[in-house]
Amino acid sequence: MTKIVRREDGTVLVERFSVFRRIEHLFVIATFVALCLTGFPQKYYAAGWSSALLKFFGGLDTARAVHRISGIIFSIHAVIHFAIIVMGILLGKMQLTLLPTSKDIHDIIHTLRYYFGKAKALPLYPKFHYRQKFEYIGLIFGGVVMIVSGLILLYPVLITHYLPGQLIPAARIAHSGEALLAFLVIIIWHLYGSHISPEVFPMDKTIFTGYMTKEELEEKHGLEHERVFGPKP
Amino acid sequence: MLVEFVKMTNSIQMKKNMIPIIVINTAMFLSVFLWAADNGVNQEASSECLACHGEKDVGALRFYDGKKKSVFIDSKVWNSSVHTGRLSCVDCHREISGYPHPSVKYKDGEEYTAVKTETCKRCHYTHYTRLLDSIHYEVLKNGGSGAPGCVECHGSHGIQKAATPRISINEKCGQCHGDVDSEYRNSVHGKALVDENNQDVPVCSDCHSAHDIRNPTDIEYKVNSYKLCGKCHGDAERMKKYNLNPDVLTTYLEDFHGASNQLYSTGAEVPGKLVAVCTDCHGYHSIESVHLPGQAEKVRENVLKTCQKCHQGAMPAFGDAWLSHYKPTLATAPLVWGVKWFYNIVIPFIVLGLVLHILLDLWRYGVRRRKG
Repeated sequence: MTKIVRREDGTVLVERFSVFRRIEHLFVIATFVALCLTGFPQKYYAAGWSSALLKFFGGLDTARAVHRISGIIFSIHAVIHFAIIVMGILLGKMQLTLLPTSKDIHDIIHTLRYYFGKAKALPLYPKFHYRQKFEYIGLIFGGVVMIVSGLILLYPVLITHYLPGQLIPAARIAHSGEALLAFLVIIIWHLYGSHISPEVFPMDKTIFTGYMTKEELEEKHGLEHERVFGPKP
Repeated sequence: MLVEFVKMTNSIQMKKNMIPIIVINTAMFLSVFLWAADNGVNQEASSECLACHGEKDVGALRFYDGKKKSVFIDSKVWNSSVHTGRLSCVDCHREISGYPHPSVKYKDGEEYTAVKTETCKRCHYTHYTRLLDSIHYEVLKNGGSGAPGCVECHGSHGIQKAATPRISINEKCGQCHGDVDSEYRNSVHGKALVDENNQDVPVCSDCHSAHDIRNPTDIEYKVNSYKLCGKCHGDAERMKKYNLNPDVLTTYLEDFHGASNQLYSTGAEVPGKLVAVCTDCHGYHSIESVHLPGQAEKVRENVLKTCQKCHQGAMPAFGDAWLSHYKPTLATAPLVWGVKWFYNIVIPFIVLGLVLHILLDLWRYGVRRRKG
């Protein structure tokens, strides 16, 4: 099933992300940046840079409008993303390669043992290793928290027709806390994993091109390499 | 050698410095003399005027509207003024230099005092320019009558220090704003001032300022109004003195409305729609103590009514979203408290884990490279 491209110069490229997934990533970049730029000045309302940033957007009210529109686009994207997963499972056509498994626990222990010099080599990782899975699952859970708390804050009157009022300040704190967590994970984890880490520096372009060389796949995702090209002779 | 050189330059420096010192000293010495002499002139000139104007039957100004204003000056009143000894009569009544006085033409008493306001600015220029920014000047400029210039509040010949006692400020404003003054006197602030002579409570000018009094319905005034209350109610020490909640300002600012207003007040856009400020729930001139029996419940009831002003169709549960200026605790708001602590713990825990993992990865990478 995996698409393989053989170039004339002999390099073999393996497809990692379909065109749809690459577009999804671009969408997440755009909405995440817009949401951060218009959201954090509201979280840090007392800081000097906040009002400067808000003025750049044309003021608080305009920035809020941008924030809400970006949030709605993000939410629609999330619904489409989940719908595709559900459809994929129902039709039996999707492999949940980003779902954490028990092997990931073994991989974590194995990797830590390697870091401390107790194992000679890193484990053979599947299509996505536990570090990538952590980020994806974090995005999914964080995204759900942001969407739900954001909707509560967008429609507080409607919500309190059915649910207790305490939910609103709770949603405000959750929206604010989850935003900070997501931002820190992106700044620390994603920036390291996809840009700063010596293995990929200055940038891992796979998510944009969609392809990885066969050699790179063998080195970074040995198990996936075995699955695609068969076990090593 | 070096020491001698330094000494020499020092003495040259000294001589150079001496010249301006002598000049300044002489100037100061002379100025004291001149001031004293000038003072004498002042006193003399004033007493010359009082020779006539000190008599009760001296006469009156006649305005075009037919009203009269006596030109009698009680020397006792004049001598109690802060200007006695500093100014003479003609410093303000500049058009008069001899007798008989030149005749002047004023429509009425108001026009006369309005013109005299221009006199005060010659010394009190900052206060005058502040007055130009005020709602009172706005009224005057648009031909409205009754708005005060300088003398309506400060008086003319018997001017005293403006803010002593503080209640005198309210008395001045109350001359025109009598309904507001009596409302204030029945409030927690007014009662404390009148009954207990409490100097911590605000008088009119603490919130409205004295000279650049803004229109209190201005958007800008309203957006910034939380700072006026916060000046005292955000001061933990002062609040402790009266057994009041010290968190009222911070809890307001942490809320959606407070955070919005703080951002609006820093100039991030003029709000399209005003959001709730202190006075929307607590009122302004008639603020009552929440320690009074039944008052806390009354304020709480007000919350929902206030919400409904903007949030149409808000149910009682909507009002509960506001935690009444108290920080969430396990007992009062378990959900809010729980979410807050969840993130207080989870964020540092995850961040620390990620950073450690990265450092381990880098360390192993370095070791591997060194080994080749």
